[in-house]
Amino acid sequence: MLPESLELWVLAAAGLAFAFVFSSARLPRRTLVIHGGAGLAAGAAIAVAPTLDLVVLVLLALGALDAALGGRQTFAVRMRAPVLAVAVLALGLMLVRVEGPDVLGRFASVGLVGGLAVAIGLLPFIHPFEADEATPASPLVWVVFVGPVLAAVLVARAQSLLPVDAGEAFAAMLIGVGLLNMVWGALGAWLTSADGQAWRYSFFADWGLVVCGFGLTLADGGRAALLVLFGIVTCRLPLYLLARAPAQQQKATEGPLNLLIAAALAGSAPFVGFAARVLLLRAATQLYWPFALALVIGMLLWLPGSLRLGRSFGSVRGRRALAVAIVLAVNLAAGLYPLPLLEVARI
Amino acid sequence: MVWIGAALLVLADGKRGLALGTALAAAGLAVLTWVDAGPVTALLIGTGGLLAAARRLMTGVSGWGVMPPGSTPRIILSVAGGLVALWIALGVMGGPGAALRFSVLTAVGLAVARVLSSGVAEVQLSAASVVALGIAAAATIDPSTSSLWPSLVAAVIAAGMGWLPVSARRAA
Repeated sequence: MLPESLELWVLAAAGLAFAFVFSSARLPRRTLVIHGGAGLAAGAAIAVAPTLDLVVLVLLALGALDAALGGRQTFAVRMRAPVLAVAVLALGLMLVRVEGPDVLGRFASVGLVGGLAVAIGLLPFIHPFEADEATPASPLVWVVFVGPVLAAVLVARAQSLLPVDAGEAFAAMLIGVGLLNMVWGALGAWLTSADGQAWRYSFFADWGLVVCGFGLTLADGGRAALLVLFGIVTCRLPLYLLARAPAQQQKATEGPLNLLIAAALAGSAPFVGFAARVLLLRAATQLYWPFALALVIGMLLWLPGSLRLGRSFGSVRGRRALAVAIVLAVNLAAGLYPLPLLEVARI
Repeated sequence: MVWIGAALLVLADGKRGLALGTALAAAGLAVLTWVDAGPVTALLIGTGGLLAAARRLMTGVSGWGVMPPGSTPRIILSVAGGLVALWIALGVMGGPGAALRFSVLTAVGLAVARVLSSGVAEVQLSAASVVALGIAAAATIDPSTSSLWPSLVAAVIAAGMGWLPVSARRAA
């Protein structure tokens, strides 16, 4: 088992526990336990699976189970994305194994990156989403509970499977998909009309950083990806769940706590997102400095979207204030001293 | 045999047609994997497919439902999909095991197309069972890795798909 996949699974479990403790009327505990538990069980199975074939089969089982558990979308709609992801991944794996021209290896890379994007629900394969749907039954389960472990396992195993030429293509495609999600997600979080959709796009933007980090193939890239995933599970997810409060608390507010929330979401210093961005820029500079420039421009796009999400959070009082304080404290601690997280993952 | 089974999955709406398509595809994959991976893997794939087919006979729309009115796009998909898979397996890819490569490409490709194009849960579950068996068969292409565990897991998934509680309201 990869140490980082174990760490990411533990973080996802902690995120689920947080959601359970601070669940509201719009986040039924039963749905949370069933859907989130299924996601965590699948994440554990993915982490311990010895081959990618088994990982793909676990994904298929989880997709069918998640679709059968129900939600606002019909079974047919919920079933499509996981099955497509599984098929694309399986064809990619098949292309790795067969004999043939070198171009097959590159097509295998396309299959693996495309399958990963479909499985998580990243652009250009986003899952159908309804803002009013209970979070555990929405596609966000794939983004926050299954996605981190899947991405870590898939990228690590794919890099060892692919030949050098195809491995470079794999990394380049990861960077391409990452940039697409960064820009589109950040712009979507800023410009889309509904706040629920804006939160969803902000997850894509963060995932863009993760995928870019994995694509950089340097140690700092992997470290940055891990820290951004930490931020997704321990900052963006809890804040998103807390933002789905009753309507009377959701009046746009610009208090100091809202600005702190915006800062944490934007990856400002001294929160964990800042450390991740510094590592990512360092890796990009080592690899090809103009890419670092593109990343900096992309990272600036986080600001307006994050300020919008912070304002839309509404008034922060009572239990919500306690939850927000815990989230910010955890992210502050990880931002100031991220070394333990990286050492556990052995990156 | 796999192509006929997968094409039947694409063309049929009734439970008999879907069950026969699943059984044929699974049987074909089992025969092909016997050669490379041995009898245990083949038996697992075959058993998983037969259990999935048997379960499908119990639920779903009655009858065969093969090629109902408006099936022209599905017929074209079945034929064109098979031809493209044949070209890739024989013309683009190389090495031994062309029949298995063609079968995996056909089974997975047509079954996924059926999942994406159908709004009926029973149809999707049958197609997903074939996808699982196709993945297990693809694992036997590489002789250096063990295909036993993927075959076992795929057989369990294929057989279990039909038992998932899918209400008519959600499947609509």
